[in-house]
Order: sequence, then C-alpha cells, then structure tokens
Amino acid sequence: MSLDDTPGSVEDGSNPQDDSNPQDGSNPQDGSNPQDGSLADPFVELLPVDGAAISVVGSNGNEHATISSSDEVAARLAELQFELGEGPHWECLRSGVPVLVDNVATSSPERWPIFAATVDPLGALFSIPLIMGAATIGGVDLYRRQPGRLSPSEQVKAVSLAVAAAGPAARWAIKSAADDGYFPTPGAPEMRREIHQATGMLLVQLDLTATEALARLRGIAFATNRPLHDVAHDVVEGRLKFTDTP
Amino acid sequence: MQEQDSREVRLSAAFVKLADTLIADYDMVDLLDTLVTECTALLDVNAGGLMIADARGELQLVASTSEQADFVEVNQLNAGAGPCLDCFATGVAVSVADINDTGDNWPAFRVAAASQGFKAMHATPMRLRGQIIGTMNLFSVRAEQISDRDITVAQALADVATIGILQERNIRDSSILTEQLERALSSRILIEQAKGVMAAASSMDMDEAFSTLRNFSRNNNISLRAVAESLVKRTLPVSTIMQDTRARAQKQHTPSGPAK
Repeated sequence: MSLDDTPGSVEDGSNPQDDSNPQDGSNPQDGSNPQDGSLADPFVELLPVDGAAISVVGSNGNEHATISSSDEVAARLAELQFELGEGPHWECLRSGVPVLVDNVATSSPERWPIFAATVDPLGALFSIPLIMGAATIGGVDLYRRQPGRLSPSEQVKAVSLAVAAAGPAARWAIKSAADDGYFPTPGAPEMRREIHQATGMLLVQLDLTATEALARLRGIAFATNRPLHDVAHDVVEGRLKFTDTP
Repeated sequence: MQEQDSREVRLSAAFVKLADTLIADYDMVDLLDTLVTECTALLDVNAGGLMIADARGELQLVASTSEQADFVEVNQLNAGAGPCLDCFATGVAVSVADINDTGDNWPAFRVAAASQGFKAMHATPMRLRGQIIGTMNLFSVRAEQISDRDITVAQALADVATIGILQERNIRDSSILTEQLERALSSRILIEQAKGVMAAASSMDMDEAFSTLRNFSRNNNISLRAVAESLVKRTLPVSTIMQDTRARAQKQHTPSGPAK
C-alpha cells in the first residue's frame, strides 16, 4: 500500500536502476528483509565490534528509523541517542564523518552529558555515516563491550561497508515506511510508530504543534527515566492522558 | 623489521587517503590517480595503469604513472589482447612473472612491454559483487613473480577504489533516492500523527482512525499525506472528516450499495 498517490513516489519500484544496481545487496524487490540483521551483520563479521545497528534519518532530525541490527543492544543504543538528541550518533550525522569513541568511560562527558549519564557501561562506540551523493542519510552505530580502537584499515573497511550499505538501507527504509502494516521487531523497531501516534494525540489534548508535542513526550520520558516508546505506548493505550494536567 | 614497519605505516596512510577521498566531495580523477600512484609506490613495482570500462563496456585507460606504462596499456587496448584484457574478461587477477615467456598469448603486448623495459606485470580486477568495472595493472622491470602479499594489498586498494567509483556512478540516482527517502519518512510520520489526532478527538482506535483517514482520502481524491498534514497542522478539523464519513455511510445504507 502506497503512502500517497504521487506518481513515481515511494512505492514505484519500476525504476530499472534497481535491478542493475551492483551495490544493492538486499534489493527489497527480491524479498530479502534486513530485519533479520542481514544489513548490519557484515559489520560485526568483518570488524572487531560486538554489535551494529543501521538507522536512516530525514534531514530535519525528527525522522529516524532503525531498520537492521545485529542485536537488540545495538538497536537500543541507536534509538537511545535519537531519543536524547545527543551522542556519537548525532555527531556523526551532523558532521558526516565517522565518530570514534575508543573508550566511552574516559570520553569527556561534557560532549554528551545526558547520553553518558543514561547509557549502560560499555567499552567503545563508533558511528559511521551512511552517505549517498552529497547527503548523509543515516548512520551505522557499532559498539564494543571492551574499550579499543579501530585501526586505520578497519576504519576504511567500516567506511567502505557503510558506502555499500547506504543504497540498500535507503531502499528498504522507503519500502518499510510505505508499508501501512509494518511489523516492528526488537532489532528493527523502524520508526516506532506509536511515538508519532502519541504525538498526534498529545497535540490535540494539549493544543500544541507536533514539534512541541514530541518535545513534551521526550521530556516526560527523560524525567521518568523511561524509554520514549514506552511512554508513547501508555499515551496510545489511554493510560496517560494530558487533558487534566496543568 | 624497520622496513616492514614503515611499510605498514605507509599502507595505513594509503588506506586513509583513499577513505578520505570516499568521504569528501571527491574528484574521481583524483581518486584513481591516488590509487595507482599509491599502489605503485607501496608495492615493489615500477609503473602502473588503470583501465575502467566506459558506458558501452569498453575499457579505457584513465590513469597511469608513466609514459611507458601508458604506451603498453594503450597498445593492449588497440590490439584488443593482453593480460589486462584477460583480467577484465574473467574478473580474476592475471600475474605474468616473465613477459618474454608468454609466447603467442599476446604478441603485440609482449613486444610493447619489451620496448618499454617491462619484464613482469600483475593485473588486479576492480570488481564488486560480480560486476567488473576495470583493472589495475602494475609493471615491473625485473622478471619475477609478484608476492602473494603484494597481490593482496593491490586487491584491497583496488576494492576501496571500486566502491568509490560505483558510489560516484550512483550519485545521480541517489539524489532521487534521497528525496524519496525523505518523503517516505515524513509521510509516514504525518500519517501516524494524524491517526493520533483522530483517535484523541474521537473514540476510535488506531486501526479505525487509519481506515477512516484512508477512505476520506480516496473518496475526496486527496492524497493521504495531504489529509494527514492538514489534520496535524489543524487546518482540517476532525469534525469535517467525521461528517463526511457519516454522510457517505448513510448514502450507502439507503440504496443497495455494496456494503463493506
């Protein structure tokens, strides 16, 4: 089911380039589905890291979908940084260059104070941009349980893998975003649609704009130390209402 | 040992240099030039050339480190035969330890190489997932087999450059893809938000909210995204959609319309 009726829009899979694209390791049209981690796994196989998650983003930063990860820890790390609005993930997306944190414990907490205070202890974090043409369309978040660096040739490997993953990631994200019945998995929570549903409910209940409503949700999540999608779930289920709050 | 170390350092530096060209807004000619120059400097060879297939699938010489290499490469292309062309055709590296010993395999190439003082060569395929886009060719003035180690390094450097070339070829397509991605993500967010708006302003659950929105969009010939956007921006009141839905349901009830 297409999202809208614009000709040539998201669901238009008739582009002949799709079939001939040599980088397209997981062409959505051939039925492969990176929800199983197939896009993220090569990073773990070929680099000294314990997990990898692949997320795509829109240009204003509010659109975010984690579409493939090697494990749930990796997916959650990407998501947590999205929710908090800071961390190596964001630095990477903003700058378009890899951000390598060899030792999270000794990295300066002023750089990402909330993330540093929230994240469970872990060794190293590396964020590699997904670049298409001139645009950064997302990032690959890699983590290590033990501190340690990526050697220059491993860095190149990471960047090369990310270059090769960008096309398939974008194509899959377009396909899944267009799917009205997308079924999220723990490793591929995608856009966490309930967050946006809750945003819509909140903007009615509190007479806010969508941007303000999402900020309010984020604030509640942070203040109550809960994942944003949990808070959103409560709003959608009607357990959390805002009509009577000051 | 000292030599080994400094080679490692130079090798790392070469990879970083290539990676930089991949990340930055790079120039393709620079990338190819960097590749063949770094490779020639790092490995125990004297010259190098790079051939890339054009849009028609025919190899063209795009970079070389010396006029001698240039001569031999162009000669192979003109003759339509040589180790570089074999490498391109098969996708497998071709190593020639002594060009003089190649007999009648590639006579024109043998003569051309000899005239420029080259005794050995190694052709590395530039390929990614089955697609071969060209070859990188290294020439030596000594008749000796290139080491396995050098073969691996040459292939690794060629692989990075190959990704860069394919990436560059995809840039035009990727601007379209980037727009589609942007639109797909923002449409999805608007639709989910609109479902929330509908649910909060009525007693519907999210599924009912969605089908109501979709029916309204179809019946009024407005895209779902546009309906969602005006709901979220509050320029379209929920009541308008509810009234429209009720009116259509009543109309369907009276005659024997196809009930859903």
